Amino acid sequence: MKKLTPLLLVLLLTASCQKEPDTSKLSGNFLVYTDYDTSENFKTFNTYYLPDSILLITSSKTPSYWNNEQSDQLLTTIAEKMAAYGYTQVAEKEFADVGLQVSYVESTYYFTNYSSPYWWWDYPGYWYPGYWGGYWNSWYYPYTVSYNYTTGSLLVEMVKLDSEARKIPIIWNAYMSGLLYSSNRINLQLAIAAMNQAFEQSSYLNTQN
Amino acid sequence: MKTICINRLRIVFACALSLLFPALGGAQQQMKNGYANIDWQFNIPINNGFAEKASGWGMNFEGGYYFTPNIGAGLFMAFHTNNEDIPTQTLNLSSSSRLTTDQQHSLFQLPFGAAFRYRFMPEKKFSPYVGLKLGAQYVKAISYYNVYSSSNEKWGFFMSPEIGANIYPMGPGLFGFHVALYYEYATNENRLLIYKIEGLNNLGFRVGLSF
Repeated sequence: MKKLTPLLLVLLLTASCQKEPDTSKLSGNFLVYTDYDTSENFKTFNTYYLPDSILLITSSKTPSYWNNEQSDQLLTTIAEKMAAYGYTQVAEKEFADVGLQVSYVESTYYFTNYSSPYWWWDYPGYWYPGYWGGYWNSWYYPYTVSYNYTTGSLLVEMVKLDSEARKIPIIWNAYMSGLLYSSNRINLQLAIAAMNQAFEQSSYLNTQN
Repeated sequence: MKTICINRLRIVFACALSLLFPALGGAQQQMKNGYANIDWQFNIPINNGFAEKASGWGMNFEGGYYFTPNIGAGLFMAFHTNNEDIPTQTLNLSSSSRLTTDQQHSLFQLPFGAAFRYRFMPEKKFSPYVGLKLGAQYVKAISYYNVYSSSNEKWGFFMSPEIGANIYPMGPGLFGFHVALYYEYATNENRLLIYKIEGLNNLGFRVGLSF
């Protein structure tokens, strides 16, 4: 056994000596993850509702909203992409086929110990179903979603508002995340580019094809 | 990280030497029968489907005993990392989910097991040999993307034919140099994101010290 000790040491030490690549070579662009309910026919939708603010997920229990020039730019990007895919924006939720709920993770305070893949649901005040109307009592994903979280992540979820059930199905979601820079201007550019990519890789949303 | 790794390598080197000294030791009377090599190696992956860029980030340790003037057997251990930059692309993770990102792939291979050799001209300063290594291989595949990473670890069966030579400027069996060319095949099967590794093939060469 004594003779094996150096051998075991060599094995253990070399196993931990993998040369890690230089991650500074990565582009820094946000990663963009999208998923959708494959049973949904998006061509049947015509109208959508987009709130004028972005929900902020912070370390506070009280939900707050991001509503300034920067959030406007992000929401405008979404509106442009939805228009390009043939959707018409409506001012009243009641007349919308689908709605978009947009959130930004400013802090992961509430999620550090959560093992649930639906971690963002646990944030106090996260898009109450009642936001979309008193008729709804909950919402759900008809498909499995799972991803990590980090500060600086953007979430976009499309809810189907013409459902006859009392649960709102989320039929499309986009998750954009990446390392943040000290410059807000650069972060906004990255977020807008990621938002464009989210729609780019979700061509099934197009109602005109 | 680099400094930590270099320090680890120093410890590995010291441990490896301590492994080898008994082979040398028994002192001088076993000098002709015991053998040991410590090598730096350059590894070229062949259509592995992951981290395909050749690299020189690896080492090989081998020690054994010649039971006849020509036939020897012993133990070996090696490790190697190959990395590759993957430009931005959209990955179809499932029938409905897609991920767009650039990545850096890293494949760490660590084979160990038994080594067999047949050497020619054992009495000469230049002593070529043919060898075969058989054993197990641990493999860890990692994809780094933005601030995230995904990894997968697997074990497999490993085999590697090799040709090489020991060069003893100070006389046969004494301190010298070692060169070798190798081919490796391992049965490791890794799955990571959309990437599938179904067996690993490598070519490479080693340069090092011979005892």
